[in-house]
Amino acid sequence: MSRTIHHHLYLLAGGFLLLFSNGLFAQDQGAEEEKKIRFNGLGRTFLQNTEIGGEILNNDSTTVRSLTDGEFLLDLAVNATPNDQTEVQTILRLRNEFGGFFGAGVTVEVRELWAKGIIANVLKYRVGDMDHAMTPYTLYLPEEEGMVNEPEIFRPQKEVIYYEQFYTEGNRRRLQGAKLDFGLAFGQGLREAEVSGFIARIRGTDFFTTPSRFVGGGRIGLLSQNFGASTRAKLGLNLIHTWDDLQSGEANNGIRNLVYTADFDLRIFEKENLALHLTGETGQSSLEFKEDSLSVFDESDSFLEVGATLKLKKHGLDLSAGFVDVGPDFFSTGAQSKRIDFDREKTYYQRIGNDRQLRMPTLFDLGRDRALYTYQLSDRLMPYDPRYSNTQPYGQATPNRRGLRLGARYASPKKGWDARLDAGLMKEIRGQGTFELKDFLLVRALANLNFDQMAEWEKQLRLTLGLQYEQTQRGGLPIEEVDLSSTLIEAGLQAELFTRFDLLLGLKFLTASGNDYIPLIEEFNDVKDFPEAYVVDDTETLLGGGFRYRFKEGIYLTLQYQRFDFSRATDPAHDYRFSQFFVLYNMNF
Amino acid sequence: MSNFSLNIHIRTLFLAVGALTIALLGSGCDHDTDVFDGPSLVDRFGEFELLEPLGIDRATVDFSAGESVTFTARFNKRIDWVLVITGTESGAVKRIEGFENELSADNARWLGGTTELPLFKNELCMVELIIPEEDSLTMTGEVTIVGAKIYDGAVYADFETDAGSNIFVGNFEFELTPASGRTNSIAAGQGDYCWFFQGTDNVVSNFFVGLIDIQAAVTGETYAPVPTTVPEDLYFNCMVYSDGGLYGLAVLQLIYDSNDSGAFEDGQDQVFALPDIALDFEGWRLFSFQVGELGLSEQQLSKIVNIRALLISQMNLQPNPPLQVDYALDYLIFTAGGPLEL
Repeated sequence: MSRTIHHHLYLLAGGFLLLFSNGLFAQDQGAEEEKKIRFNGLGRTFLQNTEIGGEILNNDSTTVRSLTDGEFLLDLAVNATPNDQTEVQTILRLRNEFGGFFGAGVTVEVRELWAKGIIANVLKYRVGDMDHAMTPYTLYLPEEEGMVNEPEIFRPQKEVIYYEQFYTEGNRRRLQGAKLDFGLAFGQGLREAEVSGFIARIRGTDFFTTPSRFVGGGRIGLLSQNFGASTRAKLGLNLIHTWDDLQSGEANNGIRNLVYTADFDLRIFEKENLALHLTGETGQSSLEFKEDSLSVFDESDSFLEVGATLKLKKHGLDLSAGFVDVGPDFFSTGAQSKRIDFDREKTYYQRIGNDRQLRMPTLFDLGRDRALYTYQLSDRLMPYDPRYSNTQPYGQATPNRRGLRLGARYASPKKGWDARLDAGLMKEIRGQGTFELKDFLLVRALANLNFDQMAEWEKQLRLTLGLQYEQTQRGGLPIEEVDLSSTLIEAGLQAELFTRFDLLLGLKFLTASGNDYIPLIEEFNDVKDFPEAYVVDDTETLLGGGFRYRFKEGIYLTLQYQRFDFSRATDPAHDYRFSQFFVLYNMNF
Repeated sequence: MSNFSLNIHIRTLFLAVGALTIALLGSGCDHDTDVFDGPSLVDRFGEFELLEPLGIDRATVDFSAGESVTFTARFNKRIDWVLVITGTESGAVKRIEGFENELSADNARWLGGTTELPLFKNELCMVELIIPEEDSLTMTGEVTIVGAKIYDGAVYADFETDAGSNIFVGNFEFELTPASGRTNSIAAGQGDYCWFFQGTDNVVSNFFVGLIDIQAAVTGETYAPVPTTVPEDLYFNCMVYSDGGLYGLAVLQLIYDSNDSGAFEDGQDQVFALPDIALDFEGWRLFSFQVGELGLSEQQLSKIVNIRALLISQMNLQPNPPLQVDYALDYLIFTAGGPLEL
C-alpha cells in the first residue's frame, strides 16, 4: 500500500517536473541565460550501535543487548523558476535503511512539493507544502522539552529530527494547503498593512467515520507611523479556525475550534541607547464538538498576556516582565500541539526487562528517536512528562496558568559571550482534582562563552551552558499535596583542534524528585482521570564525546560515543544504561 | 481621499481596535472556577474512613400507607456503595447503589419496591451496606415490613385466594402432573400463592401440555378492569417463574368477548396472543407487553373476558422420550403509562 502510494507520488512529481521542465527548457532556448532550474538538497548517512546494560538486565533473557540501525538518504530538491513571478520546487527522497540489500528497504517518495509566486506584483501565493506561524496563541510550534541550550555534540541528532519533522526557524508549522498575502503602504498615520490568509488540510478522511480536517485563518498586521519622536504601534488581528468537514465520508461528528486574538507591540520610545516596548496579546477560543449538526460539547475561554521590554542597548541588555493569564478552557489546536508525543512508540527498546516493562522516554530518546516527534495538530492536549516541563508543557499557550514572566538577555558587544535568564512564577487558575491550586516556579538560564572571540584565537573554542530548574507545589490535604522539583543541567564544549576538526564534549544531567498527579486527557482538554499518583526520584545522565570534521558549511562528518544512565531511586532494580557509537555524514548542497 | 480624512480613518481604526483590545483585556481574567477538573483526588486516592455507620430511620414500615425507609451513613470520601435489602421470607431483594460520600433521603430511600423478584411481603428484612472497594466492608441492620407496597395498576389475578370455577384447568390429554395448580410450595412472585404448571407432552405428541382459563369474573367484574382504555398506554404485566429447563414455553393470550355475551366462549371469542415466553431462565421474571402492540382496539381492551395461559413443550427440541416442562405464573396486572415499576 505504502509502496503504491509512493509510486503514485513519484509519478505525480515526475509529471509535475516534466510539465515545468518543458516550459523551462523552451525558455532556455531564448535569450535569457540565467539559470532556471536549480538542484540542491541533502544527503545523509548515519549508523549507530546502541547497547543496553544495567540492573534491569539481571536475569533477563528477553532483551536484545545490542541494536544497530542507520540509513542512507538523499533528498534531491529540484527548484525551478519558469518566470519571474513563479517558483516551483519538489524534493524527491531516496532512502535505504541500514541492512537493506538489493532494493529491499528502499523507498522513493516525494517529501515536498510546492509552487509559489506573485500575482500582478501585489498578491503573493503559495500552494502545496508550506511552513506557517502566526502568534503563540493561534498557530505556533512551541519548543520541545528536555532542552535549554543543547550542547553542540547533541545537535547533529536533533538536526536530523528537526529536518525529518519539518521544524524550521520561527516556530512555524508544516502544513499542506495554500496561502496568500499582500501588503499595503500608506503615506500618513498608518505606515503599513499586511494581510495574510491560509487554508490547509491537516487530516484526510477515511471515507467512513473520520472526516477531513481543515485549518484556516488569517492575520491583519498594522504598523503606524511614528507618533512624536519614536512612538510607534504594531497591531495584529488574528483568527484561526480548525474544523472537520462533516460532508466527507460517512462522518457525522467533528470539532470546531475557533481562536481570535489581537496582539500589539507599542514602542513607547527608542533612543540611541534605550528603548521601551509594551507588548501583549489577548483573545478568545471556542471549542465545539458536533454530532449530526447538534452541539454536544461547547466551551470557550480567554487569555491575556501583557508585558514590557526595556532595551539597554549600550549594555547589550534586554529586560522584560509580563503578566500572563490563560484560561483553563482555552483551547487552540494550532498553538498547543506539542512536538513530542510521549505516547508514541519508540523505535528501539520500547520494552525492556524480563517483565517487558514499557520504557518511558528519556533525555537519550528525546535526542535520538525521531518517532517520538510529530508535526501534526492534535485535537486533545497531548501527554507530557512533568520531569521535563510542568509549568508550561504546551508552551506559552499552556492553559490554566496565571502569573508573571521575567526575562533578561545579555549579549556582549564583542560577541564574546551571551546569556539569557527567564523565570516564570505561575499558578493554576482552576484546580485539578481539588480546589487547591498548584504553584509553579520555572527558571531557565543559558550562557554561551566564545573563548576564541574573547582571546581573538583563530580556532574555535566555545563553551555552552544551560540550566532549567522547576518546582511545583500544592497544599491542601495530605492526599492533595504536590511537591515536585526537577533540575536540568547542560554543558557543551566545542574545541577546534585542527582546522575544521572539532573535539565535541557534552553533558545533560537531569534530576527529578517528588510527587504530582498527571491528568489523563482523552478528549480535548477534559481531565478524565488521574491514573495513579506520580512519584519520582530519577536521575538521568547523558554524556557524549566525539569528533567532527567540517568539510565546509553544511557538510560534516561526526563520530561520537554517548553514554546514558537512568536510575530511579524508588525502583533501583529497573535501572539501565545505554552506550552508543554513532557516525553521521551530513551534506547540504 | 485627502490625507486629512485618511488620517481620521486610520485613527478611528486604531481607536476601535484599541477599544476592542481593552475590552478583551478586561474580560481576559474571567474564568470558570466553580468546579475543579477531573475526579476528586480525595475520592480517587484518599484513605477511606467511616464517619457515621449505617442508620435506619424506622424499625417497622407500612409501605401500603405511603411510608418509606431512609438509610443513612457518612464517609470521608465519595465511594461506591451498595445497599442490599433482603426479605427473610420472600427472598425478595432490593438493591440501591451509589457513588457518594453520604447516604441520605436523596439517594438511599426505600419505597418498598424490589430489584429482584419476588415482591416483598409483610416480613422481616435484612439490610446490608457494602463498600466493595474496602474489602467489601459490610454493615447490617433490620427493618420489618408491616404493610407491603401496593403497586399502581389493576390486578387481574394474584392467586392469593381460591378462584374456584373462575379458573378452568384444561388438562385435556392428562399430561399435567398433580403438582399443577394453585400452590405455595414454591415462593410466590407476589404474596404467598401462585399458579404452577408441570407436565410432559408424552400422551399426545402435539406440543400442548395443558392450560388454564382465568376468566374475568375472577376480578369480580364481567370484564377485566383496566386503568386506561388507550391501547398505547395500557400494559399487561405478569410474573413468570422458570427453573431454567430448555424445552418449555409459556403462551399467554388475552381474549376479547367478540360476541358480546359477557362470558368466555372458546372458539367464538377473539384471541390476542402475547409473544411466547421461552422458559430458559431461572427464578421469577416480570414480563410486560403494551396492549396496543397486540392489536387490541380501545373497544376490545375494555371487554377482555378471559386470559388463557398454556404450557407448551417444544417437541422439536425435546429428546426422546421428552422431558417434563413447567413454569409458575403470578400477579397478572394491567398498568397505565408503562410497565409495572418494581
